[in-house]
Amino acid sequence: MEQKFTLSPKLISLAGAFILIGIVAFVWGFIADAERTWANYLLNNYYFLSLAIGGTFWLALQRITQSGWSSAFIRIPEAFANYIPAAAVFFLLMWVGFHHLYEWTHTHVVEHDPVLQHKTPYLNLPFFMIRLLLFFATWIIMTQLMRRVSRQEDETDGMRPFEKNEWYSKVYIFVLALTFSLASFDWIMSIEPHWYSTIFSLKNFVAAFYHGSATIVLIIVIMHHYGYFKFIDNSHMIDLSKYIFILSIIWGYFWFSQFLLMWYANIPEETIYYVKRIEGPYTVLFWLNIALNTGVPFFFLLSNYLAKSKTMLGIVGVILMIGQWIDLYLQIMPGATFSKVHTIGFIEIGSYLGYLGLFMLIVFWSLSKVPLIPKHHPYLEESLKHHLHEV
Amino acid sequence: MSKAKNYIVGIFDDHDKLLNGVEATKNEGYKISDVISPYPIHEVIESLNLKTRIPVLALLYGIFAVLVTFGFLYWTSVVDYPLRFGGKPQNTLSFVVVIFVMTINITSAFTIVTFFLREKKGPGAKAHVIDEGLGDDKYAIILDEEEEKTAQQEEYLKQIGAIRIVHDKQK
Repeated sequence: MEQKFTLSPKLISLAGAFILIGIVAFVWGFIADAERTWANYLLNNYYFLSLAIGGTFWLALQRITQSGWSSAFIRIPEAFANYIPAAAVFFLLMWVGFHHLYEWTHTHVVEHDPVLQHKTPYLNLPFFMIRLLLFFATWIIMTQLMRRVSRQEDETDGMRPFEKNEWYSKVYIFVLALTFSLASFDWIMSIEPHWYSTIFSLKNFVAAFYHGSATIVLIIVIMHHYGYFKFIDNSHMIDLSKYIFILSIIWGYFWFSQFLLMWYANIPEETIYYVKRIEGPYTVLFWLNIALNTGVPFFFLLSNYLAKSKTMLGIVGVILMIGQWIDLYLQIMPGATFSKVHTIGFIEIGSYLGYLGLFMLIVFWSLSKVPLIPKHHPYLEESLKHHLHEV
Repeated sequence: MSKAKNYIVGIFDDHDKLLNGVEATKNEGYKISDVISPYPIHEVIESLNLKTRIPVLALLYGIFAVLVTFGFLYWTSVVDYPLRFGGKPQNTLSFVVVIFVMTINITSAFTIVTFFLREKKGPGAKAHVIDEGLGDDKYAIILDEEEEKTAQQEEYLKQIGAIRIVHDKQK
């Protein structure tokens, strides 16, 4: 099956327009309200990185479990991997705005705060930057290795590349478990350095996996609409929706695990995190977060009929992209701006669109550079002729 | 009063013979009333186009359970006997745990009772044995008996691999 994705001028101009809106939003934002704009900068940095990490984790998981049904779609998460270098550049540029985001970077605050002094051996700028570089180095090296071997597979016969990729995937998820956990501690949890949660990294990791998978599904549905992946039938749709369905339950489970422990323990420095979010200006978003990320996918995909519908899965994908944004907004804004920002305005939407445009451009450009369907994947036939009972 | 229906039961001892048999019988034009196997077989369910309304009922029971449990918790801890612990709000997300467990409990209990009622089974019900082997490792295709063609039906079942034929008044 020889199929190649072509980057249409319409797509390029759409992404270009988004990027332009993003640039305008950032320029205007830095002039009008620097603190708010830096918070948005971090939000979008982390948001799209989490999609890329989640997508590549999905890819690694398919390799490790030697899944057949998904082997025709692996080019999409492989294209996600190319966004990670861009994210690295953005995260390094965040250096300029550190003081706007992280309380612990202010020496005069730390001087009067024994808790922050205690955390200084970990939370200090040089070590923070070393970790940041280390995280991105491992992610970029591992994902690019996986990409390269996957390209080798197209050119050669035999099982060598397949086995090699499985091995890389195993290494990658082990590395990812440690690095992404620490990364979410560093970048998101340290915004409120007095608050802590041990399940935080797991919760954010599941969110990344969940929304990364949902984005993959959304892209598959959109591309199918434009005439790619012609072989997709109900069996594929059921498997894809099952993935979102089960992850929606896991997301709710982890979200609730963090909440419930803090609820029952009722330790003031822990509960204040949720008090800020449940009461006051964030109430609506707080409930919307739960509804969009677990409620909607759960009830929509419960029905076998809706779960097969490409339109419905597309809608769920879009809802989840919004859901992840709201989740991160709630994690970042109350801490980084001291609850001053609680509305969604042009800076939020514009900067998001800017990143979205860039993400689209990188992902689709990477897709257009390689054959859309891997050529010699050993399980390719299984994926193309995928059949489930009772669908 | 409608006349009691008679059934012809072909007993099989092989999975593949059963599968091919079901397809062939359908194509031949005989009406399959039921198929019995020691384990669920997807192909048979698909080919007989079997439908069940149990999942829909389970969903309804689940919704009912959520409402009842939430109502109970809300009544006890917010309306009738409100206590405030450590400044926490009373109508809360911690209800979720109890609601979750009670939903599973109520839904499964009600679904099982529904199933027993529908199938007229349950504790004390007299078991109807069509053939000794069916409780063990045998399969069966059950046909509606057609008055004039009984011999032909029996012959057909033998031909597709039935090891013996049983007649029964009940499925």
